[in-house]
Amino acid sequence: MKQYIIIGNSAAGIAAVEAIRQRDKESKVTVFSDEDYPAYCRCLISYYLAADIKEDKIVYRPESFYKENNIELFLNKKVSRIDPKKNRVICEDKTQFTYDALLIATGASPKFPDTQGIKKRGVFGFRTIKDTKEIAGLLPVTKAACVLGGGLIGLKAAYGLKKKGVDVKVIIKSKQVLSQMLDFEAAGFVQRKLEENGIEVILGQDAAEIIGNGDIKAVKLDSGKAFESSLIVVGKGVSPNIDLIKETQIKFNAGLIADNSLKTNIPNIYTAGDCAETFDATLGRHTINALWPVAVEQGKVCGANMAGDNLNYAGSVGMNSIEFFGLPVISLGTYKVKEGEANFEELRFCNTKENLYKKIILRDNFIVGALFVGNIGNSGVFLRMIRERINISPFKDKLLQESFGYPDIMDFVSEDISYGDGYLNKKAT
Amino acid sequence: MKQLYYDVKKCLGCKSCEIACALAHSVSSDLFKAIKEEILSLPRKKVISSKDKNYPVSCRHCKDPKCVDACMAAALVYDKEKGMVLHDEKRCVGCWMCVMVCPYGAIRPNIKTKIPVRCDKCKDKGEPTCVKACPTGAIIWQEEIALPAGTLSEKR
Repeated sequence: MKQYIIIGNSAAGIAAVEAIRQRDKESKVTVFSDEDYPAYCRCLISYYLAADIKEDKIVYRPESFYKENNIELFLNKKVSRIDPKKNRVICEDKTQFTYDALLIATGASPKFPDTQGIKKRGVFGFRTIKDTKEIAGLLPVTKAACVLGGGLIGLKAAYGLKKKGVDVKVIIKSKQVLSQMLDFEAAGFVQRKLEENGIEVILGQDAAEIIGNGDIKAVKLDSGKAFESSLIVVGKGVSPNIDLIKETQIKFNAGLIADNSLKTNIPNIYTAGDCAETFDATLGRHTINALWPVAVEQGKVCGANMAGDNLNYAGSVGMNSIEFFGLPVISLGTYKVKEGEANFEELRFCNTKENLYKKIILRDNFIVGALFVGNIGNSGVFLRMIRERINISPFKDKLLQESFGYPDIMDFVSEDISYGDGYLNKKAT
Repeated sequence: MKQLYYDVKKCLGCKSCEIACALAHSVSSDLFKAIKEEILSLPRKKVISSKDKNYPVSCRHCKDPKCVDACMAAALVYDKEKGMVLHDEKRCVGCWMCVMVCPYGAIRPNIKTKIPVRCDKCKDKGEPTCVKACPTGAIIWQEEIALPAGTLSEKR
């Protein structure tokens, strides 16, 4: 009987637990979370803030899940240190636990810039259910709010606040929204949609100071202009929670470095999710793709391998799906070609009036990235072509067409995706 | 466990399956009323033509479903007994992660309802409506079978 320890109770941690239990019903599985909430759908907090969904919908796995799967769950218990030599984890409250196999899926935390006044009460990250409830608690007395940062988290916070009737301004240092997932053109569609729905977007400026003596009164920009605001949400990216390994031999860059079985350089320690640096198939190097589906995918591989399997992780692809006020947008892989980079080609379709935009980025006839605005229907087929490195020359002229679809690529893709239904007599006889 | 198979040799691309599907999932189940429904019922199947052949494309109910992994609202689950990917519409928030990762492009967003449109094999109707709707018998509903190599688009 083994003792598995999982640090982290979100996408990667839960996927690992499930993968372990599919293979090993007997061994002890212990999960640590530094939050005081059973596994929840972290990505839904903006919907919860907006009151689009009630709290019951945010539950990712019910409390009974832990009992049914014989999982020992510690909430509100932060692991502060790992001792790989003695195979043990040490918690903040000084308790210690030993493991045979360990998964570090500690996720990430919001980054706060060193803007003057950033530590004031009323400045929030937007990552946890706790953040969300605290923000929601202030809404009855909040008329105006500012969001710092135009990434996904910032915009989702802005959406939630606006939906609750708060006046929202989003202050963005770069020249576009979502600069980490969209090109300038696609970003324009999203920005117009936000503005049409009353969210003010301020580009090319940064907050210089948060003003207020006690309660926050305003945000002053580096241009000198100030906006009245009593609540600030910071969406300036996240940094991986890896302090707990910093005194160990475990290798890290920005995140913990995972090999292709998602092990760290210590044989019985694995890593997955927002704290893990894994191979990125489109970039050709290690990076963190902090994204729910990626975390689940990685957690599954970790759990399986911890339980004795020998699965290979094919690598992640940066991707994201967003929707604001009825405008869906999907970004896959590389979304911008830097000027002067050779061998890249862009295929584009744009119809501003109908809110339609599609861009496919090719390198030597392989798709390395794609953007879809408005019509996202077939994006999964493009993700598959990126993942499986399909040479698109046989159907390149069809890629942008509405009628393009899975049948066009079926002869070229790997056939090991397990499926239920299928085609008969596909080949000519 | 019954599965849907499509005989590509017989499919004429008439899209009768699409209409039958949309109708089966409409409120009224009546063609002339259904087209006037406030939220138009969309077909879960789409016939796509490629190189002179027609392929009805719809959810394959993959055994290792990417959409279930990607679902950040825990609305999609794989039911091993039924061999089906089930979707709890009440939990769905319309984030379109499932659309993004479907390797067949078989999940489409319904922007109006904020719920993805995908084959549910007509749930409790006994057999999927598209089967009877197909005038050439190209849609086959039968127990999972081991097919001779090369006749099926996917290996097992």
